[in-house]
Amino acid sequence: MSDPRASLLVALADDELILGHRLSEWTGWVPYIEEDLALSSIAQDEIAHARMLLDILSVIDGRDTDQLALGRAPGEFRNAVLCELPNTDFAFTLARHWLYDHADDVRLRALQKSSFKELREAVAIFLLEERYHLEHADAWFHRLAGGPVDARHRFADALSATIGEAVALFESIDDEPALVSDGVMPRSSEDLLGEWLGRIGEQLDEEGFDQVLSARGEPSTGEMVPTSTGEMEAQVLGSVLQPPDVKRIDGRWVHTDSFRGSGGRRGNHSEYFEPLWSEMTALYRAHPGAKW
Amino acid sequence: MVKTLTEHDIRAALSTVMDPEIPTCSITNLGIVQDVRISYDRIEIDLLPTFAGCPALDVIREDVEAAISKLTTDVDLKVQFVNDPPWTTDRISVGGREALGAYGITLPVLLPIGRKETVTCPYCGATETTLESAFGPTPCRTVRYCSSCRNPFEGFKTKTQPDASAS
Repeated sequence: MSDPRASLLVALADDELILGHRLSEWTGWVPYIEEDLALSSIAQDEIAHARMLLDILSVIDGRDTDQLALGRAPGEFRNAVLCELPNTDFAFTLARHWLYDHADDVRLRALQKSSFKELREAVAIFLLEERYHLEHADAWFHRLAGGPVDARHRFADALSATIGEAVALFESIDDEPALVSDGVMPRSSEDLLGEWLGRIGEQLDEEGFDQVLSARGEPSTGEMVPTSTGEMEAQVLGSVLQPPDVKRIDGRWVHTDSFRGSGGRRGNHSEYFEPLWSEMTALYRAHPGAKW
Repeated sequence: MVKTLTEHDIRAALSTVMDPEIPTCSITNLGIVQDVRISYDRIEIDLLPTFAGCPALDVIREDVEAAISKLTTDVDLKVQFVNDPPWTTDRISVGGREALGAYGITLPVLLPIGRKETVTCPYCGATETTLESAFGPTPCRTVRYCSSCRNPFEGFKTKTQPDASAS
């Protein structure tokens, strides 16, 4: 009944909308004015890209663009959890920026060959604008990697803390088999994950940041929590998404198994999503159908 | 009656509509008028957004509607933004380049990604300028600095197809 193309549009749009909203929280707080403008401009671009995707979706779905962006329940959002995580500090913001924008570039390049005309046209525009996001993220990556020891360590720690959720950007999309067989997605999410890992792995190795991905090679035991006797034991993860492990094989970073459980792409969000959603949609919920 | 109006009349009216954020440059010089279609009771105008996040899009559409309604109100007018083809800075006319320069915004240059740009300072004409930030006061502008006359100035953000810039 439902159109598989809607599943892809909503995942792409929600990544851009939620990350754009998070980045907009930096406006007025960035350490200096040029960077404040940069993160605010990137937020503006991402939210605009979400709007273009939701414009396309509204033709399939029937709800208008504002209803789709602001009138959906939290469980209907399909963004990856990475996008909703709080900004925390500048190191985390830039680590996420770098990991996300390389992932976005990999998937947009693949979608240039999509059989879905309206999406292909939008992607052509996105790539012309995302180029500047990627250059910005790369410039910070090299600047912090080569920077003073404190900056380098904090950035490496932020990358290590973020890499798992960044891998989860490539959790499969609802209806993905149909999307791939119809050519709407010319390549599967898992195929794109391989390309992204190779690309970021090479850059991390060059900067001597290989510990970022090595940590992902350890067996996933889940979070350690104290028991009633005070001993630590692994938490039962249940349906929580566990991204695949990654290893360096023949000098190249690859993933060695598959996703288990389900995450943002199935509507399972972190504790941080609801407060973000509540703030983002407050005006719309108070005045349904409001125009501005 | 629409029949008395030609595409030339419509385009002449559109050339009086200025970009709300660059008041020296018309939307025709900016290259965002993609198509004008006239039938017996209907005028359709397709526009291209410069940048997806441009907040001036709604204002431009309203200004276009106002300019056409000065020619005729006896018509079904449809002004819409379309996504194909993507707008690029290559579409700015020679007149548009001059209008941008007159407003203190440097002309876009066509260069492949990674190649060093040569951009002329709009105040003193020197070419010793550097990119301060790719993100300026609007989505379409960058911030540059002239090391000759020591003025900061704005540049139009280069937006061009990677294959087109190789020539």
